[in-house]
Amino acid sequence: MLDINSGAVHVVDKMIYDMMDTFDGTNDEDVVAALRGTYPEADLREALGELHELMDQKELFAPDIDVPPTFRQSGIVKSLCLMIAQDCNLRCKYCFGDGGSYGQERAVMSPETGRKAVDFLIGKSGPRKHLEMDFFGGEPLMNMKTVKAVTEYVHQREKETGKTIKLTMTTNGMLLNDENIKWLNDNNFAVVLSLDGRKAVHDAVRPTAGGQGSYDRVVKNFHKFVDSRQGGSSDYRGSYIFLRGTYTHKNLDFTKDVLAMRDEGFDTLSMEPVVLKDNPELAITEEDLPRVREEYDRLTKAYMDAHKAGKGFFFFHFNMDLSNGPCVAKRLSGCGAGHEYMAVAENGDLYPCHQFVGREKYRLGSLDEGVTDTHWPQYFRESHVLNKPKCRDCWCRFFCSGGCHANADLFHGEIRDVYEVGCEIQRKRLECALYVQAMLALEKQAKENN
Amino acid sequence: MKHIQTVNKPSLQASLKKGGCGECQASCQSACKTSCTVGNQVCETMK
Ligand code: SF4
Ligand code: SF4
Ligand code: SF4
Repeated sequence: MLDINSGAVHVVDKMIYDMMDTFDGTNDEDVVAALRGTYPEADLREALGELHELMDQKELFAPDIDVPPTFRQSGIVKSLCLMIAQDCNLRCKYCFGDGGSYGQERAVMSPETGRKAVDFLIGKSGPRKHLEMDFFGGEPLMNMKTVKAVTEYVHQREKETGKTIKLTMTTNGMLLNDENIKWLNDNNFAVVLSLDGRKAVHDAVRPTAGGQGSYDRVVKNFHKFVDSRQGGSSDYRGSYIFLRGTYTHKNLDFTKDVLAMRDEGFDTLSMEPVVLKDNPELAITEEDLPRVREEYDRLTKAYMDAHKAGKGFFFFHFNMDLSNGPCVAKRLSGCGAGHEYMAVAENGDLYPCHQFVGREKYRLGSLDEGVTDTHWPQYFRESHVLNKPKCRDCWCRFFCSGGCHANADLFHGEIRDVYEVGCEIQRKRLECALYVQAMLALEKQAKENN
Repeated sequence: MKHIQTVNKPSLQASLKKGGCGECQASCQSACKTSCTVGNQVCETMK
């Protein structure tokens, strides 16, 4: 049982579960009347006592959350995504960037543009000390020249300003070799590696530009990379290496893909649904949802079984700290696209995030002119769960934070709408995550009591 | 309690007053990145 406005998670027995159909905090007698035939009255009254105790502690029916004063009127940019190379050496079938080009000419970012982006970020970051810069694409390793130049400049500016800029990169691994692995390690990069699970699944959707499978080559490189970090870290705040995959309509049995990656020797994993419109072959649609929900139950079971057998692995979406989660202001900011987070296109143009690159309506300005658009940053800032009509009443609003604006725009042309299929999957995934966390917490409590 | 076990010490209400420092990592839900949903993050200052 989740209390939305406090974030409290309670594990309850069947009787309480049934009582909650009726109980609203004030109608004890109605509850007793409704269930007297099913449970002894004394038990019902005892349980009501416990429910009132939770209410007194504000862990049940906690007051509605409104926009707190800690949520600043306007955002401070603290995170930038650089489209280092709008070009790619793979042709993933589900790529939203048209093979890296984003519907534009294939091109790479110049070192000069990259350095301007660093200055832009620092200039916009006000009092924020911890900033982030993500090297993205296309395939960033296709333009190591700029990656290196920007990184060097980042280190110089860090010294001059006292700020820390965390560097991250998302790569398909095709060009990982001993040399750049060492370089990424020396520069403390957090890296996200794309792998879709089983070889056949991966090769079918992630072919090279020449049409061959890419699995063998990237897995070999990933092994080298992961081994070079000696154990590595699963903490997303450190210099982690994550393996992440995308599942499509074609592999709704994606638990097998997660386990295939684990069996391949990788243990820090993430697997997410593809988002596609008008692609009957790969898109996940409403008809797929029952199957997807079932699969998350299967994954949950596999995850818990592995944990119990002492062979646990890290699955990003099941990892959650229910006691030390983010503050309300952060939960309202969500991804921060357009106000705390922006993307820089290869030519220096600014967009609300990497997925908006090339959607001209949303162009915010450029590194040379600065943010010239006066409408979007504020509109994105205020497009949080309390202002999105469909999120206001959604139980998972403070975990999901309103979904992806880019997806809402793709399906409805309006970022205050939501992408429904994504919501259904999000809710199911969160339900599984809460279950996993509740089970782990009970296990811990039991150990402590022994 | 006999019928209820609370598994966490929730911080949501308390964080209405404190918080908002903005020092934690940005989170993107899209599949091409880590898909780091806000709910999967921790706070950097209220630990
Ligand atoms: S699941 Fe959908 S409706 Fe619920 S908070 Fe997320 S985006 Fe909003
Ligand atoms: S709008 Fe979507 S893709 Fe863009 S940063 Fe937010 S969650 Fe990520
Ligand atoms: S570090 Fe904590 S208090 Fe600061 S914005 Fe993030 S969640 Fe809120």
